Amino acid sequence: MSTRTNTIERNSNGSPKSLNLSEICSRALKANSEWPDKDEFLDVIYWARQIFGILLGIVWGIVPLKGFLGLVLFAGISCGIVYIYSINFQGIDEEAYGGAWELVKEGFMTSFAGFLVTWIIFYTGLHYDTIMAEKELS
Amino acid sequence: MWSDTILIVFISICTALLGEGLTWVLVYRTEKYQKLKGEVEKQSKKLERRKEIHGESLDKSQKKKIERDEEKLKNNNRDLSLVKMKSMFATGFAFTALLSMFNSIFDGRVVAQLPFTPISWIQGLSHRNLSGDDYTDCSFIFLYILCTMSIRQNIQKLLGFAPSRAASKQGGGLFGPTPGQFK
Repeated sequence: MSTRTNTIERNSNGSPKSLNLSEICSRALKANSEWPDKDEFLDVIYWARQIFGILLGIVWGIVPLKGFLGLVLFAGISCGIVYIYSINFQGIDEEAYGGAWELVKEGFMTSFAGFLVTWIIFYTGLHYDTIMAEKELS
Repeated sequence: MWSDTILIVFISICTALLGEGLTWVLVYRTEKYQKLKGEVEKQSKKLERRKEIHGESLDKSQKKKIERDEEKLKNNNRDLSLVKMKSMFATGFAFTALLSMFNSIFDGRVVAQLPFTPISWIQGLSHRNLSGDDYTDCSFIFLYILCTMSIRQNIQKLLGFAPSRAASKQGGGLFGPTPGQFK
């Protein structure tokens, strides 16, 4: 029926994936690339988001950012970058993906969880003594 | 403090792999599942394309065709979740046992410090089995759930077990992204 194979199917059988991966990466980094397969572009956003979430978590933990601000900042930056990347950099038509919302929420919860884990781990690991000293004082 | 948190991440990677392995043995490798999954994927894509093409037109015969396809897809989706159900029970039991074991190991232990104060309905989870009322103390279960949320879904996606976007979009609530991911 369809000549286009699904990305997920392709990923599951080993060899074509590695071949495709470098090609997809170079397309992802180039402005205004063509994305004939919608799933491919959504996969790029998904995985970029996971990596980005973990990196932000590490940075927030090292700084260390605290409180509600950290959460809001993450959500804002994460959604903002995805939006700017897809609309301005790749110049895709958001309607084809069912609106900007579909793009912005792609993989958000998973990356949020990853972000929280790395934030908590780095915050606790690096600043444990300071946190405990502060708690003693208060 | 690093040791506890790293251990929890390791535990959740292991349990996620175990869960996927178990599901693979019970479900993913079976012929029935593969056939159903292929069918659902094909139908979802077909339906999506048909809806795109005939989105505006209100041709009666086309509408009927779409409705018939939707009905077929719904039935297949239901069969698929029934096939999955079997393994969900098995993994559910295994994980309840494992979780209660880990819970007793980490009982009453503060495994991490939260950089934020969780909202009240999460506090029950993040402060489970901990004494005192310092809500920035983090319990084992909270960190474990967060780890599982990110790790399990990523492993599923990496191994190609996650339902495709078209299928989960058409399937709606019947066919959630990761059933039983908290177990």
